[in-house]
Amino acid sequence: MARLIRTEKEVEGRYEEVWIVVDEDALDRWPAGPLTTVGQRVPRVDGLARARGQALFTADLQLPGMLHTAVLRSPYARARVISIDLEPARSAFGVRAVIGPADLDQLTDEPGYVGHAVAAVAADTFGQAQAAAERIVVEWDVLEPLLDADEAVRQESFVSDVANYERGDFERGLGGADVVVEAEYRTQVVVHNSLETHQAVCHWEDDGITIYISTQYIWGIRASMADHLGLPPDKVRVICHAMGGGFGAKNSPGDYTPIAAELAKRTARPVRCALTRREENVAAGNRNATIQRLTAAATTDGTLVALGGDFVNAVGYSGWSATTEGPMKMLYACDNVRTTQYPAKLNLPPMAAFRAPGFVEGTFGLECLLDELAVKLGIDPLELRRMNYADSDRTDDRPFSSKNLAECYRRAEPHWAKRDEVRARSRGPWKHGIGLASQIWYGGGGPPSYAWIRVGSDGRAQVVTAMQDIGTGTRTAMAQIAAEELGIPLDHVQVSLGDSARGPFASISAGSSTVPSMGPAVRSAAADAKRQIIEIAAQRFHLEERVLDLRDGQIVSTDGGSWPLTEVTGLLESGQILGQGARGPNPAGMQVLTFGVQVAEVAVDVETGEVRVDKIVAIHDVGRVINALGAESQVEGGIIQGIGHTLSEERIDDPATGSILSRTLDAYRMPTIADVPEIVSELVDIPDEHLTNLGSKGLGEPPIIPVAAAIANAIRDATGAEIRSLPITREEMLRALREAEAREKERRGAAAAV
Amino acid sequence: MDVLTPRSLEQALRLKAERPDAVPIQGGTDVMVELNFDRARPAALLNLNEVAELRGWSRQNGRVWLGSGLTYAEAMERPLAEALPALAEAARTVGGPQIRNRGTIGGNLGTASPAGDALPPLLVCGAEVKIASVRGERIVPLPDFVVGPKRNVLAEDELILGVSVGGTESRQTFMKVGPRNAMVIAVVSLAVRVDGDLRAAFGSAGPVPTLVRAGLGDVDSFPQRVAEAASPIDDVRGTASYRRHALRILTRRALDRCLV
Ligand SMILES: Cc1cc2nc3c(=O)[nH]c(=O)nc-3n(C[C@H](O)[C@H](O)[C@H](O)COP(=O)(O)OP(=O)(O)OC[C@H]3O[C@@H](n4cnc5c(N)ncnc54)[C@H](O)[C@@H]3O)c2cc1C
Repeated sequence: MARLIRTEKEVEGRYEEVWIVVDEDALDRWPAGPLTTVGQRVPRVDGLARARGQALFTADLQLPGMLHTAVLRSPYARARVISIDLEPARSAFGVRAVIGPADLDQLTDEPGYVGHAVAAVAADTFGQAQAAAERIVVEWDVLEPLLDADEAVRQESFVSDVANYERGDFERGLGGADVVVEAEYRTQVVVHNSLETHQAVCHWEDDGITIYISTQYIWGIRASMADHLGLPPDKVRVICHAMGGGFGAKNSPGDYTPIAAELAKRTARPVRCALTRREENVAAGNRNATIQRLTAAATTDGTLVALGGDFVNAVGYSGWSATTEGPMKMLYACDNVRTTQYPAKLNLPPMAAFRAPGFVEGTFGLECLLDELAVKLGIDPLELRRMNYADSDRTDDRPFSSKNLAECYRRAEPHWAKRDEVRARSRGPWKHGIGLASQIWYGGGGPPSYAWIRVGSDGRAQVVTAMQDIGTGTRTAMAQIAAEELGIPLDHVQVSLGDSARGPFASISAGSSTVPSMGPAVRSAAADAKRQIIEIAAQRFHLEERVLDLRDGQIVSTDGGSWPLTEVTGLLESGQILGQGARGPNPAGMQVLTFGVQVAEVAVDVETGEVRVDKIVAIHDVGRVINALGAESQVEGGIIQGIGHTLSEERIDDPATGSILSRTLDAYRMPTIADVPEIVSELVDIPDEHLTNLGSKGLGEPPIIPVAAAIANAIRDATGAEIRSLPITREEMLRALREAEAREKERRGAAAAV
Repeated sequence: MDVLTPRSLEQALRLKAERPDAVPIQGGTDVMVELNFDRARPAALLNLNEVAELRGWSRQNGRVWLGSGLTYAEAMERPLAEALPALAEAARTVGGPQIRNRGTIGGNLGTASPAGDALPPLLVCGAEVKIASVRGERIVPLPDFVVGPKRNVLAEDELILGVSVGGTESRQTFMKVGPRNAMVIAVVSLAVRVDGDLRAAFGSAGPVPTLVRAGLGDVDSFPQRVAEAASPIDDVRGTASYRRHALRILTRRALDRCLV
């Protein structure tokens, strides 16, 4: 029965109170551990098509008569357009339409950051559009930009309200402490740099619009573009068959989709608006910089008695302020916690969600500080974490739906126990060490989400749902779930997705929610189809439904009878069995979270400052694992992206003008395969017994979260140096080493004086 | 744009004399980047890939001759890699496999970037650049060939035939500091050779790759001298002070390697 409930909905750590209609989730849970198809290592069902270049990405699409767009973007961080002359562009060769600030909300005459869209040109070729855009004449009034986050806080320039939080009494906790550590941590701006840049092709047809777009959220694009265009949502069809990465930056239409829609309307042609790699590095969103001024206090027995922090999020010109303070509030069982979060509004390109926004940054600060505390207390860092283990969510005293972080710690032990062995590898200038860091994050997904399934007379099934596969292997995971429930081989299941006109509503692929939101809906659709097949089989074989089941492509009865599935489905001829499924509610009154721990082994060249990551062991608890192979590749991807964040990636801005200096993949340094360490991934694989018919949580984000802190803690273990700032360039490494040396000298001096 | 493809050196020199605006192209790993980014729109390209005289390497009169069309991939192969180990080490650090298959020594000289990775190993080996035009040939020592950042002494009708380097076996090595392990332009690079005297040449630490020499007795002060010879700048890749620091450390390590 459908039930109306008022509930909290969480995406990327942001909560909203909403009404939703949910269907009960009445299925029995599968037993824990790998099953016939679910939990196995399954290569991607679309792997071959991808390897052969046959998978259709938005970037591949060539519609007849399609035009290309170049966007004129502001070269100034803060300016006013005094006058703009679009005529020279209009008269340029191949140009079909030119629009400026007067024509579209997404084009501005008061740019607030370098890269803010001002005008756009559609032409027969991209080269023509670019050449024409250069001919647009703009007279600028260049204004003083606000670029410093601390200065923004002083001026109270914010994108939203300052967020204050306190539980217990922080000051009192501090007063009762034996050991207090304080430190300031900084994280840099990093850019998603997906392989496929942000882009959309808009095509007005059938008195509506079709939008082909590289997106993480087909239905979100449909809703926001319908709203923007003043159309009923069903006049907006959104299509995304294959997608070249998003990492959180492709949840909304951006400026490029409205620009393409407007130009397509004016020219009555399909129009592509695709960001170039340079635009991608400037105007496509980023993980914003943070400044974290943190305090941790404990009694000599290791009990955390106070945690506090001022967190400055350098959000940029717009966007939302991620919960950088989240890990400090949630990871440990500390009674007295006080945090303040300042969402600084600056004349810099806006942030966009990036793989666990806020928690990646906040975990770096908190988990480094905890190790500094461990050193001062003389307590083993792993022990200190165990001593302060949270058994419930301390922010509102809700129980966890499941938490196996203790099991993660237990499995980390053998790796952690190698500390002496690893340190003993140090030779000459190369110092070796081990560090660890914990992970906490969301990833429970939620309703609504729907799936349909159809089974034909050949006994094969097609899952139909208008979700997207953002490159994480969703097609494979959904096929596994359907195959498992229907008891048919994996290659008898097709998954049709990627088109809002073909299938029911499906959740966003962000916040690690794809599997936990969509998986249960697919299973319940398959269960619905299976129920109908058994009903028919019971009539065909004159048996009771309860003695029948589907297994290995056979209909089996408890008394040993067995018939090929097609014996029943074959009766359908052109008829089909149609199953319908919905995602049930999340467990009421419980907090659904993911957990983990990573152990990093590093080597530091103390003379040149080079940091080499030798190995990372990642142990995560995300409930039931659907595809062990796919899960492993999510872990590897997260760790590699995390290593980039930790060691080499940084958007470089001109501090005087706010111009972006790193606009290419040469200047913006993502890791190469030569930078990838040995990665060992281990998943606890215990189904969450309160969460849906699958007990699965998401894994897209967790693996990137503890990487930076684990590496920084390993560096401390190897050298005694305290890393305070990302990325850990050679210069930051040498600075930290010099500081450690000075500290050590001072300590020895003080000891000598006594 | 015209693409001129001579089949012999003679033809190439004649074409270059007739069309001094034609930009020579070998691997194209620098030229094509300039074109793609619209930083250059030459009226013509002079495609040297079919000129057999520019390819390969040989031993000549006790020296090693490297044709300007020698690729990094070729420089990494024995027996050349044994004759010029520092050049082979440098070649291994260039770009990725595709770039090493296409990119050439002649192109690196043509570009004359302060970060050109082939240049420090060639400098410590006493490289001389052989240049030709329809007017004749001339030989220019490498330190005189590169005259500024991305500037060399080529006249508009001249082509680089290749370089010749000292052929005696010697201890030599190459080191490169970059912000990641592959596909990087050097933050600083260094070649060191010990053979009768001490020679070091560095890249990315001054307007041109620079050679520093000292007697064998100066081992202890040499790292400092190399660092002092540099005139680095701060840029998106690193700071001047780090570059100087790294040169000192790398020179000491390179000497350790060469003096064992
Ligand atoms: C992704 C990438 C990575 C790279 N990594 C590195 C690196 O790690 N280290 C490094 O040093 N470089 C690197 N480069 C730059 C480039 O590969 C090298 O400079 C290479 O040596 C150029 O050789 P080429 O044959 O491709 O030159 P081309 O591009 O063909 O030519 C380069 C220049 O030399 C001139 N020229 C070529 N041949 C002659 C001739 N015979 N006579 C006169 N002039 C001539 C051309 O006109 C042009 O000005 C990289 C480039 C790319 C695209």
